[in-house]
Amino acid sequence: MDGIVQLQRQLVDYNASLFHEGFLDDQFNQLQQLQDESNPDFVVEVVTLFFEDADRLLNELTKALGQPSIDFKRLDAHVHQLKGSSSSIGAQRVHRVCISFRNSCEEQNVEGCLKNLQQVKHEYSLVKSKLETLFRMEQQVLAAGGSVSR
Amino acid sequence: MADNKDEIYSESSECSPSSTSPMGSKYRYLFHRLCGSWNTSSNPEARRIFHRDVEKEEFQYASSHCLTSYYSVFVVRLAIMIMLAILIGLLTILTWHFTKIYTTKSLKSLAYGLRYELLQRPILRMWNILNSTSEITTAQVKLSQYVIRRYSNPATQAEQVELYEAMRAITWSLFASRKALNSITINYKNGFVQAFHRDLKDNNTFYIYSDLANYSMGASNSNEINSFSKHQAWDDKSLHGNYSAIWYREPLDPVSGEKIGKAMKIAPEDLINIAGLSQVPDGVASWHVAVSKFTDSPLLSAALPVWDSSNKTIMAVVGVTTALYSVGQLMRELVELHSGHMYLTSQEGYLLATSTSAPLLANSTKPLQLKMAVDCEDDVIRQGAEWLQRTYRNNFPPSHEVHVENVKLGHQRYYIDSFFLNLKRLPLVGVIIIPRKYIMGQVDERAFKTLVILISASLCILVIGCVCILILTNGVSKEMNLRAELINQLEARRKAEASSNYKSQFLANMSHELRTPMAAVIGLLDILISDDCLTNEQYSTVTQIRKCSTALLRLLNNILDLSKVESGKLVLEDAEFDLGRELEGLVDMFSVQCINHNVETVLDLSDDMPKIVRGDSARVVQVFANLINNSIKFTPSGHIILRGWCGNQNSSVGSPNFPLDQKKLQSLQKCREKPIASQAKRASINDNKVILWFEVDDTGCGIDPSKWDSVFESFEQADPSTTRLHGGTGLGLCIVRNLVNKMGGDIKVVKKEGPGTLMRLCLLLSAPMDVTEQQCAVDLTENGFVVLLALHGNMGRLITSKWLQKNGVCTMEAADWNGLTQILGELFHARSSAHNTDFDAHYPAKEEFKSKLLNIRDMRNPVFVIVVDIGLLDLSTDIWKEQLNFLHRYFGRAKFVWMLNHDTSNNIKMELRRNGHVLMVNKPLYKAKMIHILEAVIKERNLELQRKTLTAPRMKEGDLHEFLEIDSTQFDATSSDDSDISEIGGSNPVSTNGDKPVEKIAKSHPSSPYHMNNALVNENEYLEEHNMGKEESSSPSASYGTGDNQPKSQSTNESSVSTEDQDEDSGCGETQRVTSSSKTVHGKKSLEGLKILLAEDTPVLQRVATIMLEKMGAAVVAVGDGQQAVEALGCMFTAEDCRGESLQKGITPYDLILMDCQMPKMDGYEATKAIRKSEVGTGLHIPIVALTAHAMSCDEAKCLEVGMDAYLTKPIDFKMMVSTILSLTQTSLT
Repeated sequence: MDGIVQLQRQLVDYNASLFHEGFLDDQFNQLQQLQDESNPDFVVEVVTLFFEDADRLLNELTKALGQPSIDFKRLDAHVHQLKGSSSSIGAQRVHRVCISFRNSCEEQNVEGCLKNLQQVKHEYSLVKSKLETLFRMEQQVLAAGGSVSR
Repeated sequence: MADNKDEIYSESSECSPSSTSPMGSKYRYLFHRLCGSWNTSSNPEARRIFHRDVEKEEFQYASSHCLTSYYSVFVVRLAIMIMLAILIGLLTILTWHFTKIYTTKSLKSLAYGLRYELLQRPILRMWNILNSTSEITTAQVKLSQYVIRRYSNPATQAEQVELYEAMRAITWSLFASRKALNSITINYKNGFVQAFHRDLKDNNTFYIYSDLANYSMGASNSNEINSFSKHQAWDDKSLHGNYSAIWYREPLDPVSGEKIGKAMKIAPEDLINIAGLSQVPDGVASWHVAVSKFTDSPLLSAALPVWDSSNKTIMAVVGVTTALYSVGQLMRELVELHSGHMYLTSQEGYLLATSTSAPLLANSTKPLQLKMAVDCEDDVIRQGAEWLQRTYRNNFPPSHEVHVENVKLGHQRYYIDSFFLNLKRLPLVGVIIIPRKYIMGQVDERAFKTLVILISASLCILVIGCVCILILTNGVSKEMNLRAELINQLEARRKAEASSNYKSQFLANMSHELRTPMAAVIGLLDILISDDCLTNEQYSTVTQIRKCSTALLRLLNNILDLSKVESGKLVLEDAEFDLGRELEGLVDMFSVQCINHNVETVLDLSDDMPKIVRGDSARVVQVFANLINNSIKFTPSGHIILRGWCGNQNSSVGSPNFPLDQKKLQSLQKCREKPIASQAKRASINDNKVILWFEVDDTGCGIDPSKWDSVFESFEQADPSTTRLHGGTGLGLCIVRNLVNKMGGDIKVVKKEGPGTLMRLCLLLSAPMDVTEQQCAVDLTENGFVVLLALHGNMGRLITSKWLQKNGVCTMEAADWNGLTQILGELFHARSSAHNTDFDAHYPAKEEFKSKLLNIRDMRNPVFVIVVDIGLLDLSTDIWKEQLNFLHRYFGRAKFVWMLNHDTSNNIKMELRRNGHVLMVNKPLYKAKMIHILEAVIKERNLELQRKTLTAPRMKEGDLHEFLEIDSTQFDATSSDDSDISEIGGSNPVSTNGDKPVEKIAKSHPSSPYHMNNALVNENEYLEEHNMGKEESSSPSASYGTGDNQPKSQSTNESSVSTEDQDEDSGCGETQRVTSSSKTVHGKKSLEGLKILLAEDTPVLQRVATIMLEKMGAAVVAVGDGQQAVEALGCMFTAEDCRGESLQKGITPYDLILMDCQMPKMDGYEATKAIRKSEVGTGLHIPIVALTAHAMSCDEAKCLEVGMDAYLTKPIDFKMMVSTILSLTQTSLT
């Protein structure tokens, strides 16, 4: 039982640290609130959707930026999508980079775009790993028979 | 610019400077306009400060500008001056020239004539002399010939002598006849000489003859003599030299010729020249100029031979000499008359006559010689001669005539003219030298004077002209500078206005961006507060944060409101609202604040106020909230009264002492009516405008009369030091005035008696005709109420009692506990014992009171209502319980109504309730509350009566415990049914104020058939609820109602509409608490039964939104893009086309569409357009809500333009989304 409590505490701490370090924002909380008996894996589901979407978009972005003549309009649309989905799950830092990415797109600043793409990728991988860790911990807690309190 | 300026400049200088060029008039117009606007600007001081920076910047520009313009002006001035100088100079020269030339010319011709004449006269004289000389000579010769022929061949000496005597007589007669003759000589062949000589100097006349002794006097000697004389005659030398002839001279009487003296011997040839044969060598007349010893003037001598009868031999030679002295005399006379010099010379240059008295003969030489003209002693003549010689040498012009002007001799200028008189054998040259001064002197002088005068005059004119030009151009240049400055000023003004405009614009645009985060902060804090797991400390901290945030939001709202009003973006809503209730709520709210301040807040609305009016409720509330807030700030003790009455716009203004004149009011109404005319028409044709007058009266520190106007300016505070004490930005009153003006009213500070401030304002609102005024449902007079008001606040008590009395209710007043007990004693003990002497002793003076008591006693079956302020009880100690017990004695006989403070402890409430006091209301007491109380009393009485008649007292006392709480926070649009007591008996089991406390109560009294807001409130929770309510009243109404985005205001609109619709209310009320939805028990599925189409491409968002909506009970169909959305709807339309009935019923597969704006294939805008297009003709309108990440107002506008109904920003705010959806779906349902 102590183990569970410890795990739970760890989970809570980790969760708090994510918010504290700015990876996530209130939107994520809302997601968690939306999760209930009828949708037990709602958060995981949405976040997984996000991962898939983001992977696809990042690929598109990389491709688009790799081309000799860059279609900034398309680029912008992609970034906009990424921005929307990241803000929906509360991936705050990704969201922020997306904003500056869009600015670069508007200025048609290729270097800025590339830099921002790198940053987005970085932030995305970070948040991805963080979230995966979080989910893993939740799984552990659940497996241990505890409940994930929110 | 400079060129342009020059043009203007020259233009205005060419025409007269006073005449206005079109440019000028334009500038003048601008100037006037500027002046006008400057005058009308109410606060030039502030404006100036505002302009200062700009001006500084402008100054440098202007100074450099000035320099160039200065140079151009300078150049132009110079040019004009030079032109003037040239003009005047030309005029001068021309004038001078014409005057001089013509006079000179005419004078010259005159002078020439004069000179000619002058010279002619001596020459004529000369000519005369010559002529006469020749005549005489000829006559002498003829006579001599005659005489000699007569005595030819004189034989004897006597004959000879006779001849000589005859000759002498003839000669004398000739000589005497001509006075001018100098001498006549006859030289005979034999050498005898006879001569008459006239000495012109001493006017003596002499006869000169040679000695006859030497010659043969007789005939005997005649041959000898003849031969001798012959010899002598032919040899003149012998006569002169070798013969020592003896000559005699006899003085004669000049007139008679008689001998008057003795003959004297003289040397021959001593006196005169005797013309000899030598002088007539060829026998013709000879002329020559000679000199004589006796005269210093040259002599003209002529010699002619006398021939014998045969004309072969010369018998004698006759010589005549004439002095030229008279010519000189004439010349002198002429010269005296005319000045100048004249001289005559021979052709060789010997002087014959001069106009001077200088000697004509050279003294130095012997024999005497004639002088040359160049040797003349007279300077002028000499110089003239020299000049002539120098100039012409010997090449005189053929006629020898010379006319020369302006010859400088010595220091003077002269005219020199010479004429040539060509006499045979004696050519003469006459020269006249006249000083130029004599002829032209006057002219020259005049010309010089004229020139001097002209030049000086023109110089004067020039100087004056230059000065004039300077002055004129100075004016012009000054004007130019002023104009340039003016233009600069205008430019600066325009810039400043533009920048100010930008500022307002910016703020107005920022409003959304600023409010949203604040709303988020507050919302999150609400969530936190509603969370269970907070400790008390955390809870208080969070509450504190919330308060601070609310304050910040309020400030933000103020600034934004102001900027919005100023930028003209504020659009007033036009919806019906209950003015009375709004104001009551406001007073409730502020009374809580005031109780701590020991200030009483009183609402005093007259009965004629319309209950329902159309207008912008939020703005009206804002106005009064600001005013009351202000009053509270500055009122440490006393009361604040909000008075209201209705002034019909057609009748005279309600208050007679109101200074606002009718005209202004009417004009005010007119300008108000114009813009909203269309709106008003749309709303209701039957609307009639009413003017509502309000006063906010406080007993604070008051405002200095000089600041009565300025307090309404931005950032203006009556006393700057108060900022420290009370805080505030000074925006409140400014917003109030702006809003009031916008509502077609006016606000001003009015003079009041006693301390404090009296703000009076009027609002022009429309009251719907069809809403008949709801009179009190209960006729108060019928029931025989006796109301005892035991209240602390004097004002409130007074006003309430007055109102009650007006409505025929008997009232009594008590201000403290003692008064209450006494009145109670009087009322009830007197009733029983009819002894009231004690009372009379205590209140001997109150006759009025006594009569009231008597009245009450007369009353049949009176209902006593005792309104007791809880503050009358001594709450600090335990005495209050005893007091309560004391009052309990009257419980059966009177109804007690307790006025509670907001902080009245729960213990007391419990105790009261335990004692059966169920009627409790919160302070303050006002009209509506009083009505409610009385109605409740009536109801209760009726119930009791029923109970008594129907059944035994079956119910427990506890079940009847009622807490009549007249909701003080109901002016919020979300409120539904309130303390309308008519509803008490009705079935309305839903708690409207879905808060926890209510919830708990609902649990504890689940079966209570008519609990309204039954609440067992613990103190803390109650307080909190109140606060929350209060804040809510400010924040949502401000942020929603004032929001510039339409969906929000629309939602407010809709929900306020839904207030009337009681059935729909419950859901709406709950949406306000949706964040704590996990804890809400009722109405969780507020979207139950709704079918929503979600068009969203991002899977994450799609999922989230779906879950959110499903959680609220809605059925969601999600599609990936606009195309699919249209298709999904398209099916529906086609499907519905088949089923005509369902169309008529208005059943649609989807109640609402949530539409993302940016989607692949077909974006939200396109999709919306397509959907709206397909709806045309069906009469359907599916609400479409836009979802967009662009939080810009332009996007919003675009959304609304394409036909969407509302607008949500990503990330989706749960609360907002639900409320928006609800408002839209309810509209469509209703």
